[in-house]
Amino acid sequence: MLADMNTTAPSAPRSLRPVSPRQLEWLTDEVRSWEAEGLVDEQQAASILGSYRAGRRFGLGRLMLYLGSAFIGVGLIWLVASNLDQFPPLARWLVVTAIWLGLVAGAHLLSERRRRHRLPDSSPVVGAVRGGAALAFGAVIFQAAQSLQVPAYEPALVGFWGAGALLYAYAVRAMAPLTVGVTASLVWFVWQVLADAESGLGVVLAFLVGGVIAAAVSVLHRRFEPAGFAVVWREVGALLVLVGLFVAAVPDVDGGDFRMTATLLVAVLVAVALAALALALGRDVTRLLPLGALAVASVGTGLVAWETDRVTGGSIGAGDWLQAALSVAAYVLVAGAVAALGILRDSPRLTWLALAALVVFTTFQSFAVFSQVITGAWLFVVLGLVFVGSGLVFDRARRELESTLEGELS
Amino acid sequence: MNRIAVLGACVVAQLALVGLATYDQLSARAFGEEYRFLVQPVDPHDPFRGSYVDLDYPDLRDPDGSVPASFEDGDQGPLYIPLVRDGDLWVRGEYTRTRPDEGPYLACDDGDWRIRCGIESWFASASEARRVERELAGDGAVATVRIDGRGNAALVDLSSR
Repeated sequence: MLADMNTTAPSAPRSLRPVSPRQLEWLTDEVRSWEAEGLVDEQQAASILGSYRAGRRFGLGRLMLYLGSAFIGVGLIWLVASNLDQFPPLARWLVVTAIWLGLVAGAHLLSERRRRHRLPDSSPVVGAVRGGAALAFGAVIFQAAQSLQVPAYEPALVGFWGAGALLYAYAVRAMAPLTVGVTASLVWFVWQVLADAESGLGVVLAFLVGGVIAAAVSVLHRRFEPAGFAVVWREVGALLVLVGLFVAAVPDVDGGDFRMTATLLVAVLVAVALAALALALGRDVTRLLPLGALAVASVGTGLVAWETDRVTGGSIGAGDWLQAALSVAAYVLVAGAVAALGILRDSPRLTWLALAALVVFTTFQSFAVFSQVITGAWLFVVLGLVFVGSGLVFDRARRELESTLEGELS
Repeated sequence: MNRIAVLGACVVAQLALVGLATYDQLSARAFGEEYRFLVQPVDPHDPFRGSYVDLDYPDLRDPDGSVPASFEDGDQGPLYIPLVRDGDLWVRGEYTRTRPDEGPYLACDDGDWRIRCGIESWFASASEARRVERELAGDGAVATVRIDGRGNAALVDLSSR
């Protein structure tokens, strides 16, 4: 394949692909060693290296673009909320719809232009416009609902926004609409579960079942395109599992007023089906992730359903201490697993998420314990010490875990 | 061409989602008939859609019951309110959990803390919402609602009594 590179001369001048300075440094070292081994000649080595340039993956320009498109999208939804009565409702909906369609068409034209120039069809500009289009679709839904006097605080509207944004994300295979779609769908799901039946167990189950679904989808994306979406689903799954277990470990959260509503039941069935599918079709050991998330969901449900002396109105007893100890053990185990996954998948965000979750969890639990015996300024001093101490311990644990795993993998 | 077809199909599906999100109101407006109810304001602001007036329908709830209306029968979910004419206006018959064989009736839901029939909010600009609320708090007003054969309802107008 490398030998073919000389024969296929590019018909148009190639533009340089931006890669991180670290990646370019690694590639340069590799190409030099190929050259030394005689796998490529000097000209081919120069041709390979000449295709790339060093650049920040998330530079200021990209940040401004995404911020700008987020401002436009949020501004559009705000415009809907400001209910401009100078224009009739239908005209308002038509204007918002025209802006949404303009963004969809604009993103398509920009990506086609890049394809014509033989560039990858995604770029920060295209991504930002697509993200704006996904946000603008929310404005279309909300304006339609407002124009037709759909009652306020209807969670289904956010759900339809999420579904539309996800549809768009998969149609154009773009990360920005995926982020919007996943976020809106998540907000809808938790809100809908709470609206159907307000209970602590309902909230915990919503987060944990959502975590199982996201983990399973991330595994399936390792086999099915777009493979890049696996990262977003994996990180969302980890976040949901950590939040769900955190809420489950809060002593005052119990199973009172819980009802297995239709939304929750369907979500549980979908989660189990997707976990089975991921187990059957997954490529490597990560196919066990959804099963792990399911196990965490069971533990979380058990912790909430466990009626200790304090919950039933008595004083703090042995059951409460045992529940607290098990909560801490389960959380440390799950956060450790997420941190290890981050290292295995080379995803620093996942590792830092796990560590941040551990520190916040430890501090929260300490707060629950120390606030019983210390008050005022000393409480802050003690909590600060716990915060700093657990941060240092976990950061050291992360580095050791990283070096152990790297040693075993190599 | 293939990419345009996929994008086109996606946009059509998204527009269908807009229709689905507002199906009850669209159906009521397109195929429903008009009914008039006495209406009073309860109180607000939806973060996504702005100012609105939250409405209570005195003739659709139990006179001794909670405001806004709720139904305590130990069950939650779909609820139907048969409608009976009372002069120019319409009032409620007996609440029922099974869909009436014939109309007119309102298809509602009390899975939430209150009975919701899709006609509880009147969206307007902040100043207009305040004016409507003041007006309704005085003598009350009459809501014109379109209701289709399945009980789907859409609020189309508010006017003074």
